[in-house]
Amino acid sequence: MEIIAQLDKVSYLYPSSSDLVLKNISLEIRKGEFLGIIGPTGAGKTTLCLTLNGIVPQFYGGRFFGYATVAGLDTLSYPVSTFARYVGAVFEDPENQLLATSVENEIAFTLENLKVPREEIIARIPRVLAAVRLEGMEKKQPSELSGGQKQRLAIAAALAVQPALLILDEPTSQLDPVGSKEVFATIKELNRSLGITIVMVSHAAEEMAENADRIAILREGMIEKIGTPAEIYSQVEYLEQNALRPPQVAQTFALIARERISTGKIPVTLKEGLALLEPLKSYYRPSSLESTSYSSPTSPLISVKNLSHTYLSGTKALENVSLDIHSGEYLLIIGQNGAGKSTLVKHFLNLLSSTKGQVFIEGRPIENLSVSDLSRSIGYVAQNPDNQIFNITVEKEVSFALTNLGYPVKVVEERTSESLAAMGLLESRHLHPLSLSKGDRARVVIAAILAMEPKIIVFDEPTTGQDYQGAKAILEVTRQLHQMGKTIIVITHHLYLMPEYAQRVIIMGQGTILLDAPIRSAYHEIDLLSKTYLTPPQAVLISEDLAKLSGHRSDLLTPNEIASCFNYAIF
Amino acid sequence: MPFKVIPEGDERKVEVVNTSAIDGAPIAYIVVLAAIVTALSFIPFSIILGSGGAMPLSQAVFPLMGWLLGPIAGATASGIGTLVASFLSPLTVGNPVLSLVGPTVGSFLAGTMVVGKKRRGWWLGLSIILLIPFFLYSHRAIGQNGIPTNIFIAGTLIEWSGFLLFILPTRILFTRWITSSNLQLVALGLFGGTWMISGLSHLCAATLSYSIIGWPLAIWNMLIPVIPFENLIRSTVGMVIGVGVIAGLRAIGLVKSREAIY
Amino acid sequence: MQSFNWQTVERDSFFTRLDFRTKLTIMIVITLIAFTWESPIAGGMLTFLVALSSLLVGVKVNYLATILKFMLPFQLILLIIMGFFNIEQVKHLTGKTELTTLLMIGNSKMSVEGTLYGLNIIFKTLTMVFIVPLVIFTTDLNKMIVSLTKARVPYKIVFIFSSTLRLFPLLAAESKGIIDAQRLRGLAIERMGWLKKARVYATIAVPLILNAMSKSQKLDLVLQSKAFSGDPNRTFLHESVLKFTDYLIMFCFVVLLLVVIVLYFWLGVGKFPWLIY
Repeated sequence: MEIIAQLDKVSYLYPSSSDLVLKNISLEIRKGEFLGIIGPTGAGKTTLCLTLNGIVPQFYGGRFFGYATVAGLDTLSYPVSTFARYVGAVFEDPENQLLATSVENEIAFTLENLKVPREEIIARIPRVLAAVRLEGMEKKQPSELSGGQKQRLAIAAALAVQPALLILDEPTSQLDPVGSKEVFATIKELNRSLGITIVMVSHAAEEMAENADRIAILREGMIEKIGTPAEIYSQVEYLEQNALRPPQVAQTFALIARERISTGKIPVTLKEGLALLEPLKSYYRPSSLESTSYSSPTSPLISVKNLSHTYLSGTKALENVSLDIHSGEYLLIIGQNGAGKSTLVKHFLNLLSSTKGQVFIEGRPIENLSVSDLSRSIGYVAQNPDNQIFNITVEKEVSFALTNLGYPVKVVEERTSESLAAMGLLESRHLHPLSLSKGDRARVVIAAILAMEPKIIVFDEPTTGQDYQGAKAILEVTRQLHQMGKTIIVITHHLYLMPEYAQRVIIMGQGTILLDAPIRSAYHEIDLLSKTYLTPPQAVLISEDLAKLSGHRSDLLTPNEIASCFNYAIF
Repeated sequence: MPFKVIPEGDERKVEVVNTSAIDGAPIAYIVVLAAIVTALSFIPFSIILGSGGAMPLSQAVFPLMGWLLGPIAGATASGIGTLVASFLSPLTVGNPVLSLVGPTVGSFLAGTMVVGKKRRGWWLGLSIILLIPFFLYSHRAIGQNGIPTNIFIAGTLIEWSGFLLFILPTRILFTRWITSSNLQLVALGLFGGTWMISGLSHLCAATLSYSIIGWPLAIWNMLIPVIPFENLIRSTVGMVIGVGVIAGLRAIGLVKSREAIY
Repeated sequence: MQSFNWQTVERDSFFTRLDFRTKLTIMIVITLIAFTWESPIAGGMLTFLVALSSLLVGVKVNYLATILKFMLPFQLILLIIMGFFNIEQVKHLTGKTELTTLLMIGNSKMSVEGTLYGLNIIFKTLTMVFIVPLVIFTTDLNKMIVSLTKARVPYKIVFIFSSTLRLFPLLAAESKGIIDAQRLRGLAIERMGWLKKARVYATIAVPLILNAMSKSQKLDLVLQSKAFSGDPNRTFLHESVLKFTDYLIMFCFVVLLLVVIVLYFWLGVGKFPWLIY
């Protein structure tokens, strides 16, 4: 098979690094293949991608060893602009990579830079828009597009140069499930139908298992393993030891295999997994699992009565929503973008006023309370912690709210220290928050909110843009806070992460509450979830299939729960 | 330097590509800061009593643009940001050409406050050039419109104080303070620097607007306390923003523009 | 996500079809004429012509009304101040030793001449402001960008301009989020006096600027991967061509400017006392 790109003993050191970021990488990328690259944070995945278009090392400098060739050209012998013709690149943040004022201008931009004749540019625009299913949107502004559409536009712009190779670095990590699905479908189509060679970095294990031809595991700058998805993702233990998340179907079967039940191979796609369930049904004995519903005899902490909200543009964001949240609950709110999740939460915070209906906090109508007054009762952690950092030391950041609320100096000092200790930030108290890692910056914001001792803390998309380790770390903090007695509300798309944490789920769609149920039953409302374009975790789908096969119903949520229902000794 | 893993491949000669830049400031930096200027033009933070209307927050950051990007890139960012805002923000509505003068001059002058670099002689030429608006302004006011000299001097306090601070070693002192690792000195440098630069950019802008409007003596009397007070607000806000930004940029470890002073 | 409010006119007219360079020439000439003239009659006619032209080519009345709404209060104050206090200057301009009283309040006199001078300033300012939507909003943004490049404006500058248009709404939305985040940390902005409010608003700029600067490094990577170098030697999707009509109009407006200047100095056309005193 023709080799499109080749790395031969490539090592690289950034100017500011103390050690090599890439170490002796040798890799051949075949024409028409879909190569996935996975690895823990800091493994060098992005650096590897940028080696393929010459940005590493020509943009950064540093020290480079070995040879990298793309389309037969040595990446150090030609300028970066040459490789823009052969390598299209799509990055993580859809907003940050679209610079033009219209869709067609965005597609034309690279072509103009490469001096492609005007007639040719005009001819290519509709072709690439059709390839990514954005036909007819030439004149639209990028700001009018959804997240998924923006990434597809970025792909179209990269495609327009007719590249030999398309590099995608975490293209779906910032997107909602619909957007993510659209992007994967587009990439798959480009690869299968048009034969575009794809190199993609992604943590979306399930999708990568379905689509990639090969997966390379990068760890500490070295390719540790490379093989088909079946070869790689079936090594569940290895992946978990390296802070990588295998597809849930693989996890499930690996755990079942630990029960000394032979499953044959470990499947890595849902289809393979479901096909392997039939012979295993005799080992399956689900026990009844208690629903983790929560009911409290006390009056609700937050009470929403017939809440409706219509924006000035006429968009009905919320329609007749009623809901009670009790003290000590851990609530998950899910739904597509535009379902009304953030709008609902903003009413709790009094950042929005209702068109109709009322919200009560601890029995008091919210319209009588200012946002700053409410901050003593409800804390809010936004998706981007950097927008919530206003001070030049961690200590000042944590004490910021207390000073604003007029607490005495001694109380400020005490509560600040307690919060810092709770979040493991005492040693960082004198540092600038922005000098900390992303995870620690999120902890600073949480500590700052914790210092106000709110009863309720809302986390808005805390796992978006995070890798598996990072997402788990944030969720562990939410567990910690929940154990401290806080009422936790989390908005997220990442359903597979939540079974260990949330007790109750609210599914929203088109401004209404479609379902309000304990997590166990909510996750098994497959039809309802699919209507809102949400996919339940693979473990849930496996559980459903097992229920059908065995005739025993048990609403299982996680691979561990499923595996615990298998018993070799039964047979 | 000892590597944990020895590279097996041949070491290659690396030539760093010149990223597209204006006067050593990457285009990307100029783009985002121009967008910042535009966004801040929509946020009013004070009423400008003197010129009528609200003072957009962008006015407090024009000198900072010069300190972050250098004179030419800083002026570009401030100018383009203001230009876009003049089309879209009701706070800054006005003739785009006229509205560009203050921001571009301010950022440019701020960017020339260098110490120990090759452009440190620029201040001399600029000081001579700045005498031109002084002359035009005073000639129009005192010579043509009969404004008493003492009133003119009182009414141009921020202009001549800014000019003196610029030509005297105070300019270098402010620069040294801004580059200091002590944030309190940075704050002082930013306050003094913003007062100085805003005074000078006000000189250029006022020369132009006075030639159009030519306000009478009563207005001069009214503005004597007002304009310095406005400049005080600008300087205070510029200091607050500047300290936060500089401390943050140092913490992030962002690669500086070639002509940056911080 | 909000889009920027670039109000390109809906109507296609002779004026919209002109090249942007022609319109820029018109804007510069009109601005210079407005700058030169001191006569409220000449200034008023020019303002009226520019406003009428704007409306005829499709600039929305609401937009002009919004401009007036923001500018008029100060302009009216200026008019009153000029009427009461502009004495020596108008005496010098009109050659009169005594001014005509329009209004008496107590011992203070508002003069006709001073008021007329105030009117002159209002018309001058309004002309310089109204010409902008006439020129900018009748031009497709894409053609404007190409036109500027062809007018030898450095492509890097043009690129920064168009990218700023794309990026600033994102920052504006982010600034709102930052304000909300501060309120959620106990800052009762609505209850603050203006000085404290000013300090709070200042602190909004800090995270906004820092986040933007952090993103700028990624942006630089994106530009590199798209072969951007700022080189003006590139192709363009959109076209901007100067036709005979464009050249003719530019020539006429330049001639107009020369005529205005000659008439101003030779016959006093457009000077303050013209047609009045």
